[in-house]
Amino acid sequence: MKERSRALGLGALIQERLWGRELFGWRQRDAASTAVLLSPWVISFLVFSLYPILYSLYLSFTQYNPLTGQPPQWVGLANYARLLGDRRFLQALQNTLFFVVGTIPVTTTIALILAVILNQQLRLRAFFRASYFLPSVTSMIVISTIFVYIYAPYGPLNGLLALLGVERTNWLLSTRWALPAIMAMDIWASFGYYTILFLAGLQNIPEELHEAAEVDGASPLGRFFRVTLPLLRPTLVFVLVINTIRSFQIFSEIFVMTQGRPLGRTTTVVYYLYTMGFQRFDMGYASALAYVLFFIILLFSLIQYRLIQGEDVWG
Amino acid sequence: MRTMVTTEAARRRRRGPGLLGRSLLYLVLLLVAASTLFPFLLMLSTSVRTGGALVNQLDDLIPERITFQNYRDVWVADRFDRYFANSVLVTVVVLAANLLFDSMVAYALSRKAFRGAGLVLGLILARMMIPVHVLMIPIYILIQRLGLYDTLTALMLPSLVEGFGIFLLKQYFDGLPRALDEAARVDGAGDFQILFRILLPLARPALAVVLINTALSSWNEFLMPLILTSSAQTRTLTLGLALYQGRFGVDYVHQMAAAAISALPIVILFLIFQRQIIAGLTRGAVKQ
Repeated sequence: MKERSRALGLGALIQERLWGRELFGWRQRDAASTAVLLSPWVISFLVFSLYPILYSLYLSFTQYNPLTGQPPQWVGLANYARLLGDRRFLQALQNTLFFVVGTIPVTTTIALILAVILNQQLRLRAFFRASYFLPSVTSMIVISTIFVYIYAPYGPLNGLLALLGVERTNWLLSTRWALPAIMAMDIWASFGYYTILFLAGLQNIPEELHEAAEVDGASPLGRFFRVTLPLLRPTLVFVLVINTIRSFQIFSEIFVMTQGRPLGRTTTVVYYLYTMGFQRFDMGYASALAYVLFFIILLFSLIQYRLIQGEDVWG
Repeated sequence: MRTMVTTEAARRRRRGPGLLGRSLLYLVLLLVAASTLFPFLLMLSTSVRTGGALVNQLDDLIPERITFQNYRDVWVADRFDRYFANSVLVTVVVLAANLLFDSMVAYALSRKAFRGAGLVLGLILARMMIPVHVLMIPIYILIQRLGLYDTLTALMLPSLVEGFGIFLLKQYFDGLPRALDEAARVDGAGDFQILFRILLPLARPALAVVLINTALSSWNEFLMPLILTSSAQTRTLTLGLALYQGRFGVDYVHQMAAAAISALPIVILFLIFQRQIIAGLTRGAVKQ
């Protein structure tokens, strides 16, 4: 028994010696090659992702203005406490929520209706698809520049409304209309993208299901709510989540069109974050703001995900 | 019986709604198309007008006299030639780097069994969920300390490798048979040869998606140029346009010419490759 196991052990040892050397050499070469292949990501991740994430978390507990030449001063939770009492932050948060709640249902509904129409056998489908999609490839800066002109006191929108006898309005300087005007532009600029996403989702729904529902006597509207919409749920969740994430980060529109005016009515959270960080250089406070924004976005995405995943929504 | 009814229903579906319904649908689609195209036409129409002449009514949309002087002013005197060159340079470098680096990392994740592969993939996905605004202050401080503030290098460095491209290419590589690499390995090919000679040529559809997404986001990028540069020398088109005030007071003709200069390269490419671009951007999104 002992002999046998020793012989086996010796055999294994010899085998390992013989194979192992080659195997080891191969493994080493392989590991080196893997390291080279991964290195661009590792370096970029450490320098431009991990370090910034941790450093801004640290900064959020400090007071830091790089222009003074002083290193960051530890202040504990003071920045977070300051946020709760900062009226301008709360106004920015309120504006952003108004933006999110006001645009997303409209954009989603328009996109869904257009996708259902485009899903019919129609001519010129490629033309419609392309023209709806065009704003999505154009930079928000270009779009905002055009809309500053459209909304101008003597611009095309007022010209058009004058034909209907509506009084001239300075849209972007009106405390009442500035934010809705930017929201309208955002809906215009983004519905095409979601239309194409819904269209792709609709094309994944088997034709037979509609036919079966039709045979069972369901009305077109009934078919839409009972068959199409439930099957479109994954696309719907996806559209709502990415649109929420994007809408919470609205910035370039504000930068070009209003810079937060009038009276902070169009200041969004990210625009406020930008002014705190890069105009006042209050970078500790701005970092705390950035983290709060991150958690708000995360929270909303999770809530949406849960809500729409739940069976009782259309079940 | 059932099959007969079904084919009848199918035939009706294929015929679609009646003439009236059909006209109504076309009317809706056309109105929406007109609304999405109108701002672009307005931009072009205004950009070729002589100073001061503005469109403020619809019947005014086609200008009586056309001039390209506004484009000349914006391009030469207002330095948009420089901004354009900067944008092209940054986009080309970022694009080339991503095609190379993203595919290298994707290859390792798809073909190499190494410890921590799951962690790497998890970190790549987690990173994609973090808004850039959490990163921008430390990136600004870092670029300052590296002495790269207000250089084009600063605009390129943070986006040389993107998780999106890695993830997409990894998925595509996973679908390519491993027998291909093994055959090449028997013939003595190393990892880089397998990647560049065998896998990448087969992954052209995925590469096109990465190319479209990276090129568009790099060309349209606004935040990084805003926080990482300060002089006109290093300004990109998008930032140049955002900061452009025109030449005198309220100067929409020059602003529209400037907007057209930064929009036209993308719009023209979109008109040529619209099918690929629409598929690329939406597929890219769904795959996230």
